[in-house]
Amino acid sequence: MPIEMSSRRSRITDEEINELISKLQSLLPESRRRSTSRASASKLLKETCSYIRSLHREVDDLSDRLSDLMSTMDSNSPQAEIIRSILRS
Amino acid sequence: MQATKSFEQAFLKHLLRGCRLSAVSYKSMSLQERKSAIKLSADVAMASARGGRKWTRGLITKLSKEDEHRSFLQLILGTEYGRLTKPCHGSWKIPRSKKIVRRSLRVCSRRKNNLRAPHGVKSSVLARTLVEKRTHALKRLVPGVESLDGYSLLDETLDYVISLRAQVDLMQKLLTTFEASKLGALSKCTLPERKASFVGK
Repeated sequence: MPIEMSSRRSRITDEEINELISKLQSLLPESRRRSTSRASASKLLKETCSYIRSLHREVDDLSDRLSDLMSTMDSNSPQAEIIRSILRS
Repeated sequence: MQATKSFEQAFLKHLLRGCRLSAVSYKSMSLQERKSAIKLSADVAMASARGGRKWTRGLITKLSKEDEHRSFLQLILGTEYGRLTKPCHGSWKIPRSKKIVRRSLRVCSRRKNNLRAPHGVKSSVLARTLVEKRTHALKRLVPGVESLDGYSLLDETLDYVISLRAQVDLMQKLLTTFEASKLGALSKCTLPERKASFVGK
């Protein structure tokens, strides 16, 4: 196999990187407000970090609320039956 | 971009298994311990429902560090525990992407330093570039990616963010379902129907 062909296959193209960056950017909340021009690498990293932190906080909050709810649940409650039916499936 | 239905199913199962396990010892747990148990269950559920990524292995490994957590994890995951903590082999793409990132970082820092650096001051004395700092911050947030850079790092990050969003979404749905059932809204539906609509068949 010619060397040129194998190196072309194994290099990650600019197109692939750009696609990945676009995908990530489309998930970030601020990207909806911004124009379609690409943010800088540092801006992307900053917003990604900030978004991940806010998702972590949401999970913490939801965990708190779930645990409150579970502590008041007894085995006869409809919630317990929902849990059992999901686990059976 | 969304997580798949099989992810949803696996996530819910593992989360609820963890909830049930912790419910057994609820009476003896403090409020904080109960919250941590649910949070732990949610993270384990997310990592195992996704599986096969650097971040999933990193997360399970991180969560297993404490002995008490490890036995809890093994209870929830059963035989999957071994599979999820197996080290994975780096992909051939990684060395290539490091080169690209290093090349672009060198170009960026050279440009920045030419604008900012006073004559005679070494660039090594100056603070690291914003990109490096923030890359390190990202690596602290995404589990298991310490050794990655460039394409691989972004790829894992994207996957992790998608999974986090799914985790939030599903926990929200679960809460809503429970709260609705508390209000007796389910009394009119049969349970199998309710379950089917919940997991979105």
